[in-house]
Amino acid sequence: MPQLDTSTWLLTITLMILALFCIYQSKMINQTMISIPPQDKKVIKPTTQLPWESKWTKIYLPHSSPLLS
Amino acid sequence: MNENLFATFITPTILGITTLPIIMLFPCLLLTSPKRWLPNRIQILQVWLIRLITKQMLTIHNKQGRSWALMLMSLILFIASTNLLGLLPYSFTPTTQLSMNIGMAIPLWLATVLMGFRNKPKISLAHFLPQGTPTPLVPMLIIIETISLFIQPVALAVRLTANITAGHLLIHLIGSATLALCSISVTVSTITFIILFLLTILELAVAMIQAYVFTLLVSLYLHDNS
Repeated sequence: MPQLDTSTWLLTITLMILALFCIYQSKMINQTMISIPPQDKKVIKPTTQLPWESKWTKIYLPHSSPLLS
Repeated sequence: MNENLFATFITPTILGITTLPIIMLFPCLLLTSPKRWLPNRIQILQVWLIRLITKQMLTIHNKQGRSWALMLMSLILFIASTNLLGLLPYSFTPTTQLSMNIGMAIPLWLATVLMGFRNKPKISLAHFLPQGTPTPLVPMLIIIETISLFIQPVALAVRLTANITAGHLLIHLIGSATLALCSISVTVSTITFIILFLLTILELAVAMIQAYVFTLLVSLYLHDNS
């Protein structure tokens, strides 16, 4: 039985660990993510509590003036 | 006919350099990794297959056991792909190596056992003695149950090795018999060839069944301990 020759055991076991525990698992994580359909992300508008912001808007951006971008 | 029957199980080398890394890491390439939004047919097939096996295998588990889903699925795919690729002519099967199978069986078994002792030590210890044992038999039964616990990973590894090795040997023997009988009697040779063909189909089935059995047993040990 050439299987019982222990000289190749270290290499075999190391490669098995690399293949099974690292490569296969990382590949399978990538793969099973595949069928998750792309969805819109829920946008959370940042609300600031700073008192000067409304003042700033009133002074520099009145409703009547066009938005300059 | 003087060729050594077990020569196919020697780790192959080219010019003294081992080819084991190529052989072991090649099956990984068959698992496609998606690069685009829309998967192609092979990817869809693979994902469908993985989901099917996952559902089938993980329904018996609780939440803790289900966290092993990735481990179990990569295990079954790894063994099945190496087994099936090993059936190609002139190829080497890593699963015939006892070292590799022991290397797979012991960590997985040990992880399940340690998990059992950590999470529910009372139930795990209760496995060592069946209920309703007569008192004189108690020490004996505890020894037997302890041995049967420790023999589990060895049995797991030897089962896979023996099955795959036996299949390859049978194919080798019947294949050389077919060739040898060609010059003696064509009829007998044809019959042997049909047997060889049927055996190859059986070996294809065995390659997948053994992968399933290995994973199922690890899953059962996990179920006992989670």
